Amino acid sequence: MVKSVWFVMAVTISIFAQDADLQRDCLSCHQTQQIPNSLIYKRYLMKYSTETAIENAMIKYLQNPKKSESIMPSAFFLKFPMKEALQVPEPVLRQNIRSFIDTFDVKKKLKIKVH
Amino acid sequence: MLSSEKRSLVRFLVIYLASTLLLFSLASWIFYSSTKHHLLDKQRDTIMYEAERIKSKLRGLHQSNDAVLYYPSHSKIDSAIYDLDKKYIFGTFKPSVKLDTILSKDTLYYLSKVEPYYLGAAYLLTARKIDYTPIYALQKQILFFLLLAGIVFSALGYFLGRLFVAPMRDAIARMNLFIQDTTHELNTPISTILTNIEMIETFGKHVENMDELKRIEIASMTLSRIYDDLTYLNLNHHYHRKIENLNMGDLLKERMVYFTSMLEVKKIDTVLDIQDDIILNIDKNDALRLIDNLLSNAIKYNKRYGTLNVTLDKSMLCIADTGIGMSKNDLSEVKQRFKRANKSEGGFGIGLHIVSQVCENYDFDLQIESTINEGTEVKIVW
Repeated sequence: MVKSVWFVMAVTISIFAQDADLQRDCLSCHQTQQIPNSLIYKRYLMKYSTETAIENAMIKYLQNPKKSESIMPSAFFLKFPMKEALQVPEPVLRQNIRSFIDTFDVKKKLKIKVH
Repeated sequence: MLSSEKRSLVRFLVIYLASTLLLFSLASWIFYSSTKHHLLDKQRDTIMYEAERIKSKLRGLHQSNDAVLYYPSHSKIDSAIYDLDKKYIFGTFKPSVKLDTILSKDTLYYLSKVEPYYLGAAYLLTARKIDYTPIYALQKQILFFLLLAGIVFSALGYFLGRLFVAPMRDAIARMNLFIQDTTHELNTPISTILTNIEMIETFGKHVENMDELKRIEIASMTLSRIYDDLTYLNLNHHYHRKIENLNMGDLLKERMVYFTSMLEVKKIDTVLDIQDDIILNIDKNDALRLIDNLLSNAIKYNKRYGTLNVTLDKSMLCIADTGIGMSKNDLSEVKQRFKRANKSEGGFGIGLHIVSQVCENYDFDLQIESTINEGTEVKIVW
């Protein structure tokens, strides 16, 4: 029983810790610059379909931002500057990306209407 | 119905019905397969249409910012979306097998691609249970049709069978009649001969026995003619004819002498108008059969104390009697083999058939005129 309580607590702390990292490393900046996270995720989803492909595409772009690697249309960069490469270790970056996907995953919102 | 006739009819019916059934079964199977395919295609069309509707809804859901996204559902059609790795995302059902191997006997599946990947969906699977109601209705219709066709074709086959075995039945009936007639025809003269010989033996040979001897003579002549007619009928197409210049006047007079006994018995008066030196190119046996049959008929069917008119000139032979005559219906059929207009007298019904054949062989014109109870006139024009 005690072990179970410790396990639940560990998982909860871990999740909160991940969310905290995402908020600190990514979303704080996104919020300041009014970047629509949900729309960005949907663009990735519409192009890459699977979580693994989205994760890899995000890593590739964040580590070496280029127009060709970006999910945004090229016209977007006429108005907004190209972001700088993130100097975050890849495991941390992957962890944040997974949290990002998990946070904005629209599939979770899907329900079947009961007639 | 004779057993051989029944056997032929049954064999015909079996072959006819089996081949008809085979043909109809094949046609029905092709029709059933084609229509079933068409009915399933119609049902498949509904899931394809539903797939397009769901794709359109997925686009709307992808762009929506609502807290809850209601997945499009249908009362009869299930659907599910899969990502690019064919991993299940969401749906109204979740097949237990992999997407690549999905196949079912009772369910129709339709897998379509979704592009772009709205909600991450790269594949959309739609499925519906096959509605067997129209297929069962089709099966019933085909079975009913086969049953109806079976009944109609059985009746038709039976009718056709009877029609086909009719000539055989007629031939057998004719054969039976021929045998009956032959035995009767042979029995009468043979009995006459035997009875009269017995009378001569009993009462001794006297001048008074002349009647018995005449009856024996007539009976023997009858037997001889029966033999000649039957031989002629049997060998007609096979024996070699010797065509020669034959004096018909002489031959006719000779045959009149031959039939004298028969004429005397019936007390028939003869009126002869026979020109001499009427020469015909004809086989003697053919001429004999022609004259003998006409004279024999004219005597046989004449009345007692009747008249026999025999005329021969360079263009024709005419033999007329004052006998029982024939109806118009009988006249039209009397030349057929074994056809007898009157059954009161003996005979096979081959006499006029032989006359008709001889006329045909030599291109003679055979004319028969008859009135009931007045007599018959047979004219052969060459």
